[in-house]
Amino acid sequence: MARVLIIACGNPLRCDDGAAWHAAEALRRTLPSGQAEILCFHQFTPELAEAASHADAVIFLDAAAKGTPGQVVCEPVGSEATDSHFSHHLTPATVIALARQLYGASPQAFVVSLCGECFDHGEELSAVVVAALPEFVRTVNQLVSQMSTNPSPGTP
Amino acid sequence: MERRTIIIDPVTRIEGHSKITLHLNEDGQVEDARFHVTQFRGFEKFCEGRPYTEMPSLMARICGICPVSHLIASAKACDELLAVRIPPVAEQLRRIFGLAQVVQSHALSLFHLSSPDLLLGMDADPAKSNLFGVLEKHPQLARDGIRLRQFGQQIIERLGGKRIHPAWVVPGGVSEPLSQDNRDAILKGIPEALAIAERTLEWFKYTIEGFREEIKTFGNFPTLFMAIVKPDGGLTFYDGKVRIGDASGKLVAPGLEPSRYFEYIGEKVESWSYLKSTYYKPQGYPHGIYRVGPLARLNVADRCGTPKADQELAEFHELQRTAVLSSFHYHHARLVEILYCVERLEQLLTHADILSKHVRAEARPNTLEGIGACEAPRGTLFHHYKIDEQGLIRWANLVIATGHNNLAMNRSILQVAKHFVHGNRLTHGMLNRVEAVIRTYDPCLSCSTHALGEMALQIQLLAPNGEVLDEAVRP
Repeated sequence: MARVLIIACGNPLRCDDGAAWHAAEALRRTLPSGQAEILCFHQFTPELAEAASHADAVIFLDAAAKGTPGQVVCEPVGSEATDSHFSHHLTPATVIALARQLYGASPQAFVVSLCGECFDHGEELSAVVVAALPEFVRTVNQLVSQMSTNPSPGTP
Repeated sequence: MERRTIIIDPVTRIEGHSKITLHLNEDGQVEDARFHVTQFRGFEKFCEGRPYTEMPSLMARICGICPVSHLIASAKACDELLAVRIPPVAEQLRRIFGLAQVVQSHALSLFHLSSPDLLLGMDADPAKSNLFGVLEKHPQLARDGIRLRQFGQQIIERLGGKRIHPAWVVPGGVSEPLSQDNRDAILKGIPEALAIAERTLEWFKYTIEGFREEIKTFGNFPTLFMAIVKPDGGLTFYDGKVRIGDASGKLVAPGLEPSRYFEYIGEKVESWSYLKSTYYKPQGYPHGIYRVGPLARLNVADRCGTPKADQELAEFHELQRTAVLSSFHYHHARLVEILYCVERLEQLLTHADILSKHVRAEARPNTLEGIGACEAPRGTLFHHYKIDEQGLIRWANLVIATGHNNLAMNRSILQVAKHFVHGNRLTHGMLNRVEAVIRTYDPCLSCSTHALGEMALQIQLLAPNGEVLDEAVRP
């Protein structure tokens, strides 16, 4: 079985920015044991490249600030790493590029995002994001199922 | 020629948001320089009215890089409110927690933020001055940085349950004892971490040969140096007396009480920055300028107390007959401290009682004022709280490492700018050196202003009438 790594990113103290963490919690409950490793972080950091290098497939979960609130988007991670002046706050593409260049690993990678409405202080998700959360989780579940058996699926 | 000002905004590869202004005289020479911290959060105010028991967790939110230091200083202040002596094992576990954070924070500073300057040079193409530039030129160094940071973060996660904002340190001790599995797993990582620390030190000592001009001009001036030391003068990050030494290496104050910090440390507010400037009160403002953090700790410490780090400390002290003055050597000191932390972690984790279940003293508040202090990665940290009879916070004051270094950072920028900035146009190498001297201090502006912000850089060149003559901005 392919090794699938799910990396959820966001700040659960900033309302919808924590959507990925809520999804990760649901996935921990619903995914069969051992089907995927799930990690939660506030931001994507260089250290994740090492974890990604051990996986056949990596799924990044994040809240999106642009788009229609409640919209779920699944797309492959591009191959272009983007520069960061901060060096400890990276994009998924940069994490995967680091995994490739530092560890010689080339996992398949997707970003699944849920567009948020409210990024204010607070632990509550907005109603529109609460309503979209099942679809967010379902999309990731489908991706995990596909990747577990075939780590090179197309975009679901 | 008219007077002008150069503004660097935002400053990159540091923690937080700031800008730098360089003021030129009529001859185009740098006359003054200011480091402006432009973010604000106000933690001291909004914690008023909260129960003291919430303070460690609240204060940890000040920073995503060094939450553990805030947890420890805050919990120590709360220990004072309870008037308890925490169980010895709880103290050792807090030390382990703190050391792990120093490793990951120093690794971030050196490997991720400053290594592009050190490896690629100050005049390197800005597009390559990042982690990818480092891994292209020295992949082992990039891997080592990631591994070392992971080592520290994983210890924090094993003890505190999560890497960022763990709530394991509580008033009276820690919430859970250390399990044997976690102890063994951490110990397993020690040899690799030690090897990384040692080979990076060797690489650094070889590399700095190419930075003689920067060593001479990066914050190379006399100041006082302040750090908490053990009763025997040894390096510590957890507890002890405040020691202040001067530029000649003599002790000005060998053992001050951290709980009396307000008697010897003053805080000055300048209208152009949210970051307060602290100074040593007996010498007044701004003459009481001092530095804290790795350079200061190694300057005032007599020993580390671990074999490899002691050897490195002796070598470090040989850099200069007096105290080591150049802020460029913060990098060197940081590496010696990483080595010390890894060695010390092994000592603490192999102690016979470290798995003891007695890790928390329970009590209600027994006094209405508490002060906690520790050494954060960037320097001495004080938390000071006053509560009412119901245990609600009535007043809080935080004195943060980066604030201690504010005067020195400003003077360092001036020194670098006077040496490297000429004329009315900015070059990348010029701009990068002004930023790089700030990076030596590894300032955490989110901590120091207790403020949330994004880090970026702006440098502006201003005429005496305020006109912007040149500007460099990085988003």
